[in-house]
Amino acid sequence: MTEFTNETIDTDSLPKCEEVQLTPLNSKYWNVMLINIFIFLFILAAGLTTLLILNANARAYLYVLPGIYIVFAVLLFILYRASFKKRGFAVREKDILYTSGIIALSTTIVPFSRIQHIALDEGLFSRIYGLGELKIFTAGGSSGSLHIPGIEIDNAKSIKELLMKQINEAD
Amino acid sequence: MSEAPNITYDFSEPRKQSASGIIIMFANSFQKVVRALALPLILIIVKSKDSGNLALILIAFLCLLTIILALFAYFSYQKFTFFLDEKKQEFIINSGIFSKTSLTIQLNKIQQVNINQNLLQQVVGVYSLEIDTAGSEKKEASIKAIDHATATILKQKLLSRDLSESETIDLQADNQDIESAPPLLKLSTNTLLKIGITTNYGASLLLLTGFIFGAFQLFKDYTEALEIEREQFTQMLSKGITVFSLCFVVVFALIIILATNIIRTFVKYFNFKIIKQKGALAVSSGLFTHKNVLLTPNKVQLSAYSQNYFQKKFDLLNMKIKQASFDSADKEDSKKSDIEIPGCSETERNEVLKMILSRAPTKGAELKPNYRFIFLQTMIWIVFPISVFALLSIYTLPLLRSYLFMIAPYIIVVGTMLYFEFKHHRLYVDEHFIVKKTGIWDVEHEIIEPHKIQAITAKQYFWHKAADVGHLIIHTAAGVIHFKYGNYTHIKSLVNYWTYKIEVSKKDWM
Repeated sequence: MTEFTNETIDTDSLPKCEEVQLTPLNSKYWNVMLINIFIFLFILAAGLTTLLILNANARAYLYVLPGIYIVFAVLLFILYRASFKKRGFAVREKDILYTSGIIALSTTIVPFSRIQHIALDEGLFSRIYGLGELKIFTAGGSSGSLHIPGIEIDNAKSIKELLMKQINEAD
Repeated sequence: MSEAPNITYDFSEPRKQSASGIIIMFANSFQKVVRALALPLILIIVKSKDSGNLALILIAFLCLLTIILALFAYFSYQKFTFFLDEKKQEFIINSGIFSKTSLTIQLNKIQQVNINQNLLQQVVGVYSLEIDTAGSEKKEASIKAIDHATATILKQKLLSRDLSESETIDLQADNQDIESAPPLLKLSTNTLLKIGITTNYGASLLLLTGFIFGAFQLFKDYTEALEIEREQFTQMLSKGITVFSLCFVVVFALIIILATNIIRTFVKYFNFKIIKQKGALAVSSGLFTHKNVLLTPNKVQLSAYSQNYFQKKFDLLNMKIKQASFDSADKEDSKKSDIEIPGCSETERNEVLKMILSRAPTKGAELKPNYRFIFLQTMIWIVFPISVFALLSIYTLPLLRSYLFMIAPYIIVVGTMLYFEFKHHRLYVDEHFIVKKTGIWDVEHEIIEPHKIQAITAKQYFWHKAADVGHLIIHTAAGVIHFKYGNYTHIKSLVNYWTYKIEVSKKDWM
């Protein structure tokens, strides 16, 4: 494949985003994810039970439905565990990158000079474990924004400070 | 207008709109009320048997309504003021009778200022001034009635920060000079006709079906209200549909679509002009409603042009120029800040692009998607629906069996479409531009400059890892550019390259 017409830069020598050492999310965040999964599964189970009790036709599937439910739950755990392990972020000198995804692994890079504003969110469960979610917004709308959960709150605050400083410097 | 004293154009004191604004406000609210009440009123009139008293009550009611609306219009005119705070660099609009609203716009947040005129405003002789801002929250300001001189000067003041009085006058003089200068692009009647014939079938079709359904619904409502025997009508309908009349209907529909297309094009783009103005482009068009938009090149985020087979024969191109729009960056539909040039030749396109991008865009190294692109699409659009259809017709709905022969033409049509979609899905990259080509019938090229990128995402499904296939998503302030099924190693190197370009470049994205 032909490379770019710009001879002055050797594209191979550019810093590579795929070789960056990613900081994994705080291990406590797995607990937060677990709580969320359990809540979801609980609501689903409640729905299924009411269906089985109220609808006579559904009772024909008395063993099939819980079976599917269990398979689904196990799959959910495996997928989320895999996704948790793959997630990670890195703050470089001039940009921040975040990798996430369950089936598709996606890496998004936001240069500091393109950040519009930053928010630090503390959810109910995250707060119990002393974690926060860093939200980085660009002019690219919601698709071009980064939401990095599971960062220790003090760490998140210092990253936010750092980014704020970088943005102001860019101005 | 040049003789008027400068005091007239002093915006530091709160100002009201033109007095004729009362009429505009009245007409606006009257129109809204009439729209809301028309159908219920008609139904009341039709359904009630005794007519004498009702007519009187209705007339009294309408009179009362008119008086209330007039009063309302008068007071909202009185309470609507705007002024420019030059020290704080803010433009402030106060409005509201019962609940007061004060809207403050920082001058450096203003994206563009548009001066428009609708039919009524043309009659009264005033213009409306709309301010588009680049705030993350939705804020939009408009002044409904303002005379042309005030509007032009206010627009200049809003767009040019920190201008002294003398400079304003210069600008004004310049403005008049420039308006007489030959336009960069002007659409002739001939071009408009060509555009009407070749584009926007989809939109017209939608409009037409919407209209037919609306008319049908209305007809139903009325027949119910009037208690007409509907059976006669439906019988007539069902008897009448034969093959011959079906053909007739199709031809008729085609003619109607073409006609609506042409009319729509004329109404929207009559007297379409682009004029160079102090490093910006002024775009104006419209038959009944004059639309006036000022385009500043460095605020343009994405420019696109598209062409279909017929347009190619006529050397016609459709262009879209998108500016930053914060609250709707994710929506696909066309926004107000987008500027559409319905038809231009290739040379004119190059002129406009050169103006916006400061050099004619070039197509760099070509990136092709992997064959997996067409594989998945075939699964979704051909294999899946056909197997569902076949299974249904065999097992549950034998009625469908007589339509099984339709599968062959379906495969041919959809297959061709998918092939062209694959063939047109390309990304061209060089030092200055990223060009994305897409489309089945209308082939579109989207052009962005690397420094307009807000964020970049590289994405890969785990089953594509071995094949080294992945997706690229470029986020800009005017939407997303998606290149699917590319060579992942190459995509990653591009991501690194663009990140480098953004971080090294001193150019701001806006």
